[in-house]
Amino acid sequence: MSNNHRTAVAVEGVQRTFHPGTVQEKRALRGIDFELEPGDFAVVIGSNGAGKSTLLNALAGEISVDSGHISVDGIQIQSWPTHRRARLVSRVFQDPMMGTAAALTIEENLSIARRRGHRRNLRLSIRNDDRRVFRERLAPLGLGLENRLTDRVDLLSGGQRQSLTLIMATLNQPRLLLLDEHTAALDPRAAELVMNATTQTVEEHHTTTLMVTHNMNHAITFGNRLLMIHEGRVIFNAGAEEKSKLTASGLVDRFHDAVSDRMVLN
Amino acid sequence: MEFISVYLNLFPVSLAQGAVYAFVALGVMIPFRVLSLPDLTSEGTFPLGGAVLATLLAAGYNPVLGLVVAILAGVVAGGATAIIHLLLKIPSLLAGIIVLTMLFSINIRIMGKPNTALFDFDTIFTQLLNADGGAPLSQFALLMVIILLVCGALFWFLHTEIGVALRSVGANQMMSRAQGLATGWYIVGGLGLAGALSAFGGAVMAQYQSYADVTMGAGVLIIGLAATILGEAIVGNKNLARQIAAPVVGALIYFQVVALALALGLRPSDLRLLTGIFVLCTLAAPLIARRLARSG
Repeated sequence: MSNNHRTAVAVEGVQRTFHPGTVQEKRALRGIDFELEPGDFAVVIGSNGAGKSTLLNALAGEISVDSGHISVDGIQIQSWPTHRRARLVSRVFQDPMMGTAAALTIEENLSIARRRGHRRNLRLSIRNDDRRVFRERLAPLGLGLENRLTDRVDLLSGGQRQSLTLIMATLNQPRLLLLDEHTAALDPRAAELVMNATTQTVEEHHTTTLMVTHNMNHAITFGNRLLMIHEGRVIFNAGAEEKSKLTASGLVDRFHDAVSDRMVLN
Repeated sequence: MEFISVYLNLFPVSLAQGAVYAFVALGVMIPFRVLSLPDLTSEGTFPLGGAVLATLLAAGYNPVLGLVVAILAGVVAGGATAIIHLLLKIPSLLAGIIVLTMLFSINIRIMGKPNTALFDFDTIFTQLLNADGGAPLSQFALLMVIILLVCGALFWFLHTEIGVALRSVGANQMMSRAQGLATGWYIVGGLGLAGALSAFGGAVMAQYQSYADVTMGAGVLIIGLAATILGEAIVGNKNLARQIAAPVVGALIYFQVVALALALGLRPSDLRLLTGIFVLCTLAAPLIARRLARSG
């Protein structure tokens, strides 16, 4: 079904239970279903423990799924390890320290990202052509990182590191970009900068994107799709038209309605 | 001033000794600094390299072939530690202890006995210097040439696509996976590289002292670690060139300090206690500095 019309991402019946059969048993994902069209920018919201992070980790490959299918561009990837999925999927973590290698220079980090999805060999990692590409990609951030290519990344601020991570995630265009509350740990100014850089690259390349956020204004402002997750299921899936009419308060009402309906049903 | 003349007498020999231990110091630096994965296997790969080389020399083979086979044996042993660590999810320190314990038996099997004398055989020293193995200072010069070649090769490798990826795995495994790196294979390769350097060091040592002994690895880890820490204090580790130079500089200085201690009348058997105290102090220094900063 996902192969016929051009679906970028199809998630079907994905389930995952942690610590099954013990007192700590937690059914984190209870059958997640949704599809994304090419170029969709979907915002994922939900309360703490709803399963947002587990879903993102399951898509990235950090967490295996018990059942269900995940396909990107029609290729089923649910059994692939993280590093294999990196050919199709890239990711910006919540923690600005997670997305870059601190002891490596800016250009070395970028060179790692530039070879994502390709075989690595014994050629020098950074060649002159690479530096030109790196500068071109870093300059629009307006952080001056293009003049600091040989600086170690641990000299950068959180916002600078997160901006670099975003460039690394999109240097080779992924088929699916995962953003895991990637501005939550930044100060407001840095968060705005990273968010602007995100929309710029996503719009320019029509990157299919899934962004988890706790920020209701971001959820309203950004993206053309919205997925609300509660107790391991998608309880509200808004298409482009429906999402454009949503307001922050409407979204909160919508959440309470959905949750109370569910409680009544249960 | 008898102490000064004793030290001056020891100076050439201790220089050559420092150069011999520089290889195993590099082999200790790689897991601790490049991979951020503490590993003790060098205590077993160092004598492994010596045993392999000694056995091949005694069987009439060329020392260069002996060095090459010693390197390969070191790769296998270092890789074995990594595979045990990764597959069985055993901490790397414990995996290394298991491998070095097993290597003790293997090394005796290789030589057929606990030690092999090499006085009657050609070594790199007798071949490249003169028939009696050369004076300490010429041995030192020869070793420094080899060290510079090894360091140059290491510097180049760690700048290749695979080398930068290896350093990335050491710095941040989660990010490395997300960037498409099969981190497990890089750890196997990285510990294999460390094993190669340690085994090479053991093979050089066996030729330098004209015998290989199954116990020659005891204490090399802490010497390598002390050399790395000492070298970092002198040349720093802010970039890759300095990080690679540190264990070499550290090993050379370490054996000068040892010579000074011996000249002052300490027994050779006291040296491990001193080395341990030195490593402890350097590990404790940041903690003490922080406490002082907080109370002051």
